[in-house]
Amino acid sequence: MYLKLANNLTKVSFKIFFICMFSIISTISNATGKKKDWEIKTREVSGQTIFFHAWGGAKNINSYIKWASDEVKKRYNITVKHVKVSDTANVVARILSEKTVKRDNNGAVDLVWINGENFSVMKKNNMLLTGYWIKDLPNSKYLDFDNNPSLLNDFGISTEGMEMPWGVSQLNFYYDSKYIEYPPRSAIELKDYITKNKGRFTFPQPPDFTGTSFLKQILVELIDDKSLLKSEYVIHKHKNTLNPLWKWLDQTTPYFWREGKNYPPNYLALTELVAEREIDIGMAFNIAHASNAISERKLPKTVRSYIHKDGTLANVHFLAIPYNSGKKTASKIFVNFLISPEAQLKKQDKNFWGDPSVISVEKLDKEWKNKFSILPRGIATLSNKELTMKLEEPHPSWVKAIEEGWIEKYGSNN
Amino acid sequence: MVNDFCRFLSKISIIIIGIIIIIPILSGFFGFFFPSFNYFPILGKEEFSLNYFYISMNIPGIYKSIILSIFTGLVSTVLALFFSQIILLYFFKTKFYYYIKIIITPLIALPHITMAIGLIFLLSPSGLLLRSISPWLTGFDRPPNSYIFPDEYGFFLILGLMLKEIPFIILVSLSALKEFSATKIFDLGKSLQHSSFSTWFILIFPIIYKKIRLVVFIIIAFSSSVVDMSLLLAPSTPSTLSVRILQIFQSSNIESFFIASNLSLIQLLVIITLFIFWFVLEKIVKLQYFYIFFLKITSFKSQFFKFVILCFGVSLFLLSFIGIISSILWGFSEKWYFPNFFPNDLNIDSFLSFYNQNESLIFISIFIPLIVSLLSSFLTIIWVELLDYLNVKKTQFEWIIFIPLFIPQISFLIGMQSFIIFFNFNSFLMPLIFVQLFYVIPYCFIILAPAIREVKSDYIKIASSLGINRIERLLKIKIPLVFPSLLTSFAIGVIVSFSLYVPVYFIGAGRVTTLTVEALNLALSGSKQDLGIATFFQIFFPILLLLTITLINRKTIKWKI
Repeated sequence: MYLKLANNLTKVSFKIFFICMFSIISTISNATGKKKDWEIKTREVSGQTIFFHAWGGAKNINSYIKWASDEVKKRYNITVKHVKVSDTANVVARILSEKTVKRDNNGAVDLVWINGENFSVMKKNNMLLTGYWIKDLPNSKYLDFDNNPSLLNDFGISTEGMEMPWGVSQLNFYYDSKYIEYPPRSAIELKDYITKNKGRFTFPQPPDFTGTSFLKQILVELIDDKSLLKSEYVIHKHKNTLNPLWKWLDQTTPYFWREGKNYPPNYLALTELVAEREIDIGMAFNIAHASNAISERKLPKTVRSYIHKDGTLANVHFLAIPYNSGKKTASKIFVNFLISPEAQLKKQDKNFWGDPSVISVEKLDKEWKNKFSILPRGIATLSNKELTMKLEEPHPSWVKAIEEGWIEKYGSNN
Repeated sequence: MVNDFCRFLSKISIIIIGIIIIIPILSGFFGFFFPSFNYFPILGKEEFSLNYFYISMNIPGIYKSIILSIFTGLVSTVLALFFSQIILLYFFKTKFYYYIKIIITPLIALPHITMAIGLIFLLSPSGLLLRSISPWLTGFDRPPNSYIFPDEYGFFLILGLMLKEIPFIILVSLSALKEFSATKIFDLGKSLQHSSFSTWFILIFPIIYKKIRLVVFIIIAFSSSVVDMSLLLAPSTPSTLSVRILQIFQSSNIESFFIASNLSLIQLLVIITLFIFWFVLEKIVKLQYFYIFFLKITSFKSQFFKFVILCFGVSLFLLSFIGIISSILWGFSEKWYFPNFFPNDLNIDSFLSFYNQNESLIFISIFIPLIVSLLSSFLTIIWVELLDYLNVKKTQFEWIIFIPLFIPQISFLIGMQSFIIFFNFNSFLMPLIFVQLFYVIPYCFIILAPAIREVKSDYIKIASSLGINRIERLLKIKIPLVFPSLLTSFAIGVIVSFSLYVPVYFIGAGRVTTLTVEALNLALSGSKQDLGIATFFQIFFPILLLLTITLINRKTIKWKI
């Protein structure tokens, strides 16, 4: 009993000693101090297990996370358990209830893959690790925070360093070029296409992320004053702003797949429908989705991607640490690995995930620069040049308005 | 003195077991009951009010969801009851009668979700049925633009539920039939110039029904609140009440927890309404006038009618078999695009990669049911033995064990979950096993308890007169005598646990998942190949288990009474 106490005491005093030492050292030489601090941290957390809550619907993403977990196990002896969630809102709800019952440490979630509305809820309720922790990670030097504001903005909300950028996505569509020559490249053209080809278009049922994003895309394209979407949705001020979207849907919904009475549950289900030719056009946020599906032999080789003429919604997805995680350091080490050139290269590789990297190639040394430049692009993946037209995400508050409006008008009446 | 102490000890343990069973049931119930009235101090709500009823009732399309749940639950139960009896009566006294059990056993062993997946593979616009007649008959070179599956009214959900419930009702009816001289009654009815149909429904069915009544109520409760099958087979705009609860619960604000709790209470009320309706129905059917009316309309001896109904019944079975076989075939195929009837390429690549990626998932999916079922059978034996020791003859209070089967799974688990977060378990496996016990014990109990209680007291008396003590009597006489029932109870326990979806979804919270949950995710994400492989494993293990059990049964039972 006393022995244990003494042992603990020495441990604590050692810790205090080290912390003092490093705070002294770091004031003297910030850069080297940071590095040493980091090395000590990695040693401290050896043997820990973290729970990474990330959407687990896609096989290629799951195997990528598995690869990254194996790597940190090898290097730092940290075990990463991928908790495959079907909807990130669940994770947010869980942490929120933990916060409400005052379970302020050792929460169930150590790291979460997040963006948009879920992030804004977590930020609003102070459920995230704060203190600009992302800049403490050694590999954050590869990210160009100064010149690329999208890395610090999540759907128009400043991240305040509470989440680390992990990848870039852009809404894109795909079709089988064997049967369709010119896919519709705007909301108006799409409406024409849908009414002329009855039953051959659908989107994932909101509140699915991709489905709601598709509705946002249409709204952004149709709305006259796009600046309205940047401010918070206020019901008495903005109710009519959504009218162009409802009008578009009123005209198209009867011509949807299954007359708009049934919708696929998520974007992956669209892949199967395109492959079977039940529908003509699929959509995804991952720009390499069609290429991946082709190499997994889920789509025919003639499938190609495209985006709308005026551009499509683009956003960054992030990694965040909940305020009540008991393994914050281990989570940071895993995040640091995930944004390393090595992990980002593999992520961008079409054979793994195909998700564009968040690091700036200019900041890399020659060897890595070269590796990124020779990375082959998938057969159906658009080039960076073709993807330059990007639309900004509306303020997260619009998501709920669109979702609820859609459910009321089209999702519950049949 | 020692004896007194033992009695005291067993009384205490009975009470402890009782508390262990009752407290979680109560917390599961109150965990959604109080929040639905805006009272849940843990989450800072301390004032009773009815505002969530108002909010729930204003959710768009909620009435349609409620009606859909009532409709599918009721119709599927009635039809399943009807067709199970039809199949039994037309095979009764034929040589096929003894094969019925063999045919239905694998169907019972399948998880609900597997049946749903089979139907999707078969009936969707790109499914096997349309492929078999395309393009040569239909002219379709791509799946037709039709709105058949899933339909607006939930008929396919009803079909799926029926396919799963018919074998179950047949099984319990078969064991009910053994308990009285059905053959004599049947012959009597026939000798009075009644058709087989009316004989069965007027003379035999009432006796069967009395014995399977509990099961019918369980089926009503289950099918009007099923989640996994609804997600796949029910229409989606809007879906059934249980799916709506799940969707609302998945939202990221605390408020939605209270709305989901409130809807859970409404779901429970839906089931209670159905029960009341069913009681009334029972009363009506019992009326004399109804008998006469029934006799009149069923007294015909039309061969055609018999043929049509039988064909329908048999094709139902075929449907489920073909659907499941085609879903497995998908697991081994590549580039199987519409309208090809066969896949272009068959290989085991994806099978192996699925296995490698999900090895631990497969292991845990087998491990949990084995443990849960073992514990359930064990607890049942202890319980029965303790009551016997204490000479408790009145066992009516045992209905408490069945409560979890009558409360909608989703409601119960939403209630349970709020307590589990509060208790801050670090492991997710132990709570999951614990919660699963509530769903498995009733089935083990219903099979095992009567068997143990029916062991002839003569054997026990002789044994005790020979100076053999209670524990030895249990191990050497009772258990060997009820060994077949013990094996059946174990097998059923494993099967029930293996196919549970909602408890794993809520209590496992993503950290512990099983094949059933994974298969549903795959089905929703449209990955037919992986889904086929997952389905393969879902069929493989229950059937392997059943085969093993049958084998053990044959090898070990040397003498019967």
